[in-house]
Amino acid sequence: MSHQTPPDSSCLDLWREKNDQLVRQVKVAQDSGLSLRRQQLAQDALEGLRELLCSLQGLPAAVAVLPLELTVTCNFIILKTSVAQGFTEDQTQDIQRGLERVLETQEQLGPRLERGLMELWDSVLHASSLLLDLLPALHRLAGLQAALWLSTDHLRDLALLLQTLNGSQSGSSEDLLLHLKTWSPPAEESDAPLTLQDARGLRDVLLTAFTYRQGLQELIIGNLPKALSSLHEAASGLCPRPVLVQVYTALGTCLRKMGNPQRALVYLVEALKGGSALGPPLLEASRLYQQLGDTAAELESLELLVEALSVTHSSEAPQLLIEVELLLPRLDPALPLHCGTQSQAKHLLASRCLQTGRAEDAAEHYLDLLALLLDGSEPRFAPPPSPPGPCMPEVFLEAAAALIQAGRAQDALTVCEELLSRTSFLLPKMSQLWKGARKGTKGLPHCPLWVSATHLLQGQAWVQLGAQKEAVSEFSWCLELLFRSTPEDKEQGAASNCEQGCKSEVALQQLQAAALISRGLEWVACGQDTKALQDFLLSVQMCPGNRDASIHLLQTLRRLDRRDEATALWWRLEAQTKLPQKDTTWSLPLYLETCLSWIRPSDHETLLEEFRTSVLEPRGL
Amino acid sequence: MVPCTAPLWVVAAYRFPGQVWHLELLAPRRALYVLCAQKGVYCLSLDHLSRSTSQDDGDSEDSELPSFVIPVGPDACILPDASLCAFTVLEDTLVTLVQGPTQWKMQLFERPCPGEDPQPGGQIGEVELSTYAPPAGVPGKPADPRFLPVLCCVSPPASRVPHGQLWGPGSFTLKEALFGLLFGADATLLESPVILCGLPDGQLCSVALKVLVTSRSAPGDPKALVKILHHLEEPVIFIGALRTEPQAEEAAEETLPGEDVHSDCLVALGPYGRTLAIKASWDEAGNLVPELREYCLPGPVLCAACGGGGRVYHSTPSDLCMVDLARGGAPLDPTQPDEGPGGLPPLLCPASLSICSVVTLAVLSRAPEGGTELLALSAKGRLMICSLDLNSEAPGLSPVSRANTGQKIKELLSGIGNVSERVSFLKKAVDQRNKALTSLNEAMNVSCALLSSREGPKPISCTTTVGWSRLQLQDVLMATCLLENRSAFCLGQGWTLCIQVLTSSSALDLDSAGSATTYTIPVGQLSPGSQREVTLPLGPGENGTFDLPVTVSCTLFYSLREVVGRALAPSDSFEDPCVDEDPPDVLPEQEGICLPLSRHTVDLLQSLRFPGLAPPCTQAPPLRGPADPVDAFLEACREPGSQPGSQPAGPASLRAAYLPPSVACIKVSAELLRAALDDSHSGVPLCCATLQWLLAENAAVDVVRARALSSVQGVAPDGADVHLIVREVAVTDLCPAGAIQVVEIQVESSSLADVCRAHHAIIGRMQTMVRQQAAQGSSPPDLRVQYLRQIHANHETLLREVQMLRDRLCVEDEASSCTTAQRLLQVYKQLRSPSLILL
Repeated sequence: MSHQTPPDSSCLDLWREKNDQLVRQVKVAQDSGLSLRRQQLAQDALEGLRELLCSLQGLPAAVAVLPLELTVTCNFIILKTSVAQGFTEDQTQDIQRGLERVLETQEQLGPRLERGLMELWDSVLHASSLLLDLLPALHRLAGLQAALWLSTDHLRDLALLLQTLNGSQSGSSEDLLLHLKTWSPPAEESDAPLTLQDARGLRDVLLTAFTYRQGLQELIIGNLPKALSSLHEAASGLCPRPVLVQVYTALGTCLRKMGNPQRALVYLVEALKGGSALGPPLLEASRLYQQLGDTAAELESLELLVEALSVTHSSEAPQLLIEVELLLPRLDPALPLHCGTQSQAKHLLASRCLQTGRAEDAAEHYLDLLALLLDGSEPRFAPPPSPPGPCMPEVFLEAAAALIQAGRAQDALTVCEELLSRTSFLLPKMSQLWKGARKGTKGLPHCPLWVSATHLLQGQAWVQLGAQKEAVSEFSWCLELLFRSTPEDKEQGAASNCEQGCKSEVALQQLQAAALISRGLEWVACGQDTKALQDFLLSVQMCPGNRDASIHLLQTLRRLDRRDEATALWWRLEAQTKLPQKDTTWSLPLYLETCLSWIRPSDHETLLEEFRTSVLEPRGL
Repeated sequence: MVPCTAPLWVVAAYRFPGQVWHLELLAPRRALYVLCAQKGVYCLSLDHLSRSTSQDDGDSEDSELPSFVIPVGPDACILPDASLCAFTVLEDTLVTLVQGPTQWKMQLFERPCPGEDPQPGGQIGEVELSTYAPPAGVPGKPADPRFLPVLCCVSPPASRVPHGQLWGPGSFTLKEALFGLLFGADATLLESPVILCGLPDGQLCSVALKVLVTSRSAPGDPKALVKILHHLEEPVIFIGALRTEPQAEEAAEETLPGEDVHSDCLVALGPYGRTLAIKASWDEAGNLVPELREYCLPGPVLCAACGGGGRVYHSTPSDLCMVDLARGGAPLDPTQPDEGPGGLPPLLCPASLSICSVVTLAVLSRAPEGGTELLALSAKGRLMICSLDLNSEAPGLSPVSRANTGQKIKELLSGIGNVSERVSFLKKAVDQRNKALTSLNEAMNVSCALLSSREGPKPISCTTTVGWSRLQLQDVLMATCLLENRSAFCLGQGWTLCIQVLTSSSALDLDSAGSATTYTIPVGQLSPGSQREVTLPLGPGENGTFDLPVTVSCTLFYSLREVVGRALAPSDSFEDPCVDEDPPDVLPEQEGICLPLSRHTVDLLQSLRFPGLAPPCTQAPPLRGPADPVDAFLEACREPGSQPGSQPAGPASLRAAYLPPSVACIKVSAELLRAALDDSHSGVPLCCATLQWLLAENAAVDVVRARALSSVQGVAPDGADVHLIVREVAVTDLCPAGAIQVVEIQVESSSLADVCRAHHAIIGRMQTMVRQQAAQGSSPPDLRVQYLRQIHANHETLLREVQMLRDRLCVEDEASSCTTAQRLLQVYKQLRSPSLILL
């Protein structure tokens, strides 16, 4: 027991009164609607608590003052954490200081060796069995320690602490959930100094946060049944509404992945009833409908998502308490609950429209998206889709492809010209290009793939407009640039920073094939079959896996009546079909896929059938 | 270059609740944004001066302030956040940089206005920048950062918002090529302004603003949003941009009012002078590539500014320098005259503008004649406008009109003031360096003199003597160290005399280690031939005991840090955070030169006092150690009527009467002693000479010599009496040649500890003597080996008995242990008077 006489009791009253007044001030701040005033009140209260704690800890620790001191410590940590929206190293030190003060009164501190926090807790909790007055405050501090350890993923320490708190000696230290549930902090006395948050409240927050974290982790690593049970646990606990929406959405994701779309839908509807953050459940619903094949419902969900994200939901100011949200992992784009921004949603909607063949809608959505991104008069900055989505030039290209698909070639040309004009000064100087070609210099200018792709789409637009000459010249320009660019080029240049999407060798090959086929088709249309043959031959050489190129070549060979070569090619094609089909287009950018779909030979099955009969017949005869 | 003082009228002065770290004036809105340390961002509307004043009257504290000082209250705070470190304002947005627990966080707010409460969702974006080591501070209170991060806004030239209107002063426009090169195609396509951020850890990174709109719940992904451009390896303290190419086609553009220059070069500066310049250029193949150069400018840099014509101005404590980043004259490659921007110069030559210690610098609009005007604030608080006329250097040729004369004189006066400020600073710096050099030179001389004199007396010596003096009613044993400079050099500033007093471990407590105390005394100025005396107490210690012997070592120490360190940091007169620390890495690990001078051991023989010998007039008062209970008892036992003359007075003698004194005895061959003492003590009986030799370092040696004493009664520091008796005896059975004359030195004391100390001291002297004699090659006489063996065997027996008795003492009961102890004492006594002789 301490030998120090407690400070004058009137002093103790004074401190206690100060603590109570500061806690009341925080509650006033909490209720204050004005965020600025709230912030200032909270800052002032924090400063006041800091000063009070300093004066309390300036004196030797005394048993009579300790309950108040620990209460002030807890209030300080709670307010500081909620103002800073997260735990920091400082809070660890604050907790440690509090524990050392308890040990000081027990004269157990001994030589001030470096002791781990867990050892400190052990000695304090053993010592505190003698000090019953201290227990409520200690449990509160333990709750804060638990929250800190949960938020920093120190689950082993957390389990040990709870085990010690519960006084259980059982070896099953791993079952954190059980420990949390069995932890029953002593009731606070009614005449105790005011606290911002009591130990029971902390325990409830910890329970929800822990189960939800657990569920999310299991969901990410794909352990679905475990995730489901954890998430159910989280939903059944005391859960603030925004967190409940998240939990329901996660449940929806989990059930969808488990092949339970109907039950998933039920949870998503529940989440939508929550009303605050509609983004994640709507996005999840669109994924669900996509899985179910209900395109109309999927696109409707996406439209709703765009709408929901356009309204800046005035998120309620966070409580000045330790809340579940504070203990959750940061929402990063890898999580299933990340719904991105409005323009990301808009892009998703537009690209889904394009993929599902609703070209008119897609074109409109793309134009909306470009307006959203580029319009400087918007009062608000609007973000472009950030990686892993496509980069800005690709969004332009997708828009152009959608416009061509929708039959609006003129608009597509405008979009392409806009793209080129905005980035013209980043591109290699064309005079240099020619000069380099003339001189045959070893270093060739590097040109980003999307520049070539723009010319390809421009050519396609001209094709649609019936301007063959322009189309051929754009395709030639495209090829000229393509043969100069090498995807391996680790150029640090300006325009190449966003080419992750189209850097692959495959994309370059397919782009070359597409340009060659496009030009070949134009030659065919003009009746210049030999030129067409050259292009198709080249395209087959460039991209041997491209079946379309081979079929175009086959058609041309047949038209030119070069039967032997045609037959040889057909045999090769037959051999290819017998090989397991490799899906080569999976990694292609959307605009390129769309473009490839335009130049696909329409009646290749009949053509191949004809060949089969014509080749096999002579042999049969 | 003509600095002049412009006439200014103070309209209002604001007093903020904390240190002001950064401020930006948004001129079109007449709003002043101010970042206060540990508080947050305040916004003041310059239109409502009167309103603000009226709010605070009635405050008693303010009555002391001048009437125009307006205290800024919390209602002007638009963004309270204690961890805010930097901000910049652009259009309707406020970009801030917050020091998080482990990372820098960039946050984007809808620009709040003073007086109105911002919406709850005021924050529209957030991204974390990089990890950093948080500065160590008091837990709970963030440390005052030494270097603050720098934020500035860069816009592409095509941006539809007319730049310069609603943007803060820290923003500039870059040419398309450089913009696209640095920030990528996305930012270019979006025509998004970009926030450049220079961090104290040296990182230079950028965030495109249009991308940085995220929800509160999900801060942006740093990998996608933040682009690290460079690492300066020094804190970034300035980011600027300038135009290095005078381009003909854009000449017209510059004349347009309100249209700003599109810069083609980005510059970043660190406090130690590291400078980064980035330009866009085209490589051989026609690719756009960044041209990146690092320069080293003279530091420490206090502030910097970018001016027209490719010039960067930067201020150091001693000068304001200008460097030219524009390609001087002809293009590098004459074959490609129009092939894009030219390169950066490989070297920068700073040109001095002869203004020292400018702490803030701004480039005013370009003067019509092609010159530049700088607005500068000096460390001493002078606000100057400096007109740089770089082309015409022909003063005095134009006729000066009467009206101009006054202005001219003002300018000249101001110029004189400026020059004198600079001169005084430079003079001080030069003086300091000269002083340091002189001091270093002398230190070198002194060190050489001391280290090269191996034999003979050292040119600088320190001798230690011991004496008793009375301090504060207590007798104290004092050591006096006399530092004598017999060299030809002067010991000046930077030298200190270090005296280390090392006590031996207490004889009674074998476990306790000796303690060491070091006294450091600045030598001050010790010219050749002069001396300095230092006196320090050796005991008694705090518990009243003396731990003899004590070793006193004297060392001279020369502090490089004190002498050189100050001269290398010439800016100590400035209160600038970037220079008030020691200059980094210029001083070696060892901070000085250490020269050992002497080492002296103070033993019991030196600290003995002889009250009986002193002449009556100067007799010291009766010496008394700490009251001994035995003495007190004996005193009380004395009969009150006893004659003082019949017995030696004092408890010590009483004690001697009741407690048999301990005795130790050392025998030395007379021949050996005579040989050693011959030269100094010829004609004196050997016993007397021996005693004088033993007490040579005692103050009483003169009396001993004068009276030719061969035995003497002294008092040890702790008050016990010590009797030294020297007599000559003959030892017969040791040597076959016959009897050997031997000097026997006997030590008697009632205190066993003092006998030990005296014995130890005598043996020490003997050892030294024997070593000297051995060096001179004297040979011992023949000995009877048999007899020596016998003595040795006796000793072995005695030692074994001691061991046995001690073992028994541990296990026996009280009655029998008493007899054992007595036997043990006897054996010890026998051991102490050996029959061995030093020959």
